[in-house]
Amino acid sequence: MESLESAYGILFTGVLIVLAALILLCLLRAIIGPRTADRIVAANMMGTMVIVMIAILTVKLGEGYLADICLIYAMISFLAVIVLTKVYMGVYLEKKEKDEKAAASRNREETTGDGQTQDGSAQSLQDGSSGEEVSDGNI
Amino acid sequence: MEIFEWVRFLAGAAFLLAGVVIFLIEMAGVFRFRYVLNRMHAAAMGDTLGIGFCLLGLIVMNGLNVTSLKLFLVIVFLWFSSPVSSHLIARLEVTTNEDGEKQYQVKNLDQEPQESGGKEEL
Repeated sequence: MESLESAYGILFTGVLIVLAALILLCLLRAIIGPRTADRIVAANMMGTMVIVMIAILTVKLGEGYLADICLIYAMISFLAVIVLTKVYMGVYLEKKEKDEKAAASRNREETTGDGQTQDGSAQSLQDGSSGEEVSDGNI
Repeated sequence: MEIFEWVRFLAGAAFLLAGVVIFLIEMAGVFRFRYVLNRMHAAAMGDTLGIGFCLLGLIVMNGLNVTSLKLFLVIVFLWFSSPVSSHLIARLEVTTNEDGEKQYQVKNLDQEPQESGGKEEL
């Protein structure tokens, strides 16, 4: 029976060490990832591996309540992906909208000429605020 | 009776090591692919198959009790949440990439009428 216990210990310790190394590689991917989506994917993978580590500790230590922590960690990891995605997409769309408005008003001022600068700027402001359809609420 | 315990240990260890191998393949894919949408393909493998194998092995080792039921619930939750998060990340990438036409082609299914069905070839 003792050999079985030691076999369980060796297996769990080895798997935990391998998963820790993989989490470090995930962190490396998150650091060097050239785009934002790379970093979010790496964070998601780290969450998955931490879930497996907590589940292994559940069986290794024989503590049933760690399974609840595992489940809640899965939910929080999912929520983190949703929130990060929404935030980055909202920031991007807002910046794009602002840039398009600035470009449109600049174009109108150039085309209307120098004689009626006040009228032209007022008109361009109105047009810029009402005429431009930027997005269809895709957030 | 001890033989039964050993068989259970070996079955659980086989599942657990299969899950770890899937995680290693996932990591190799994440470092070898060149673009985010390709890397996501490899990363989604660990979310479903890797964690499925690992937790199945732990369930086999733990036996049938409430803890195993909770671990199975984790697998079921990830089955539902992993496609949703992959979809959100892919939409973020397609929306925010200015010069993405070099990397992928986007086919807008909402704006194409049925005539594209006739034009499409195999």
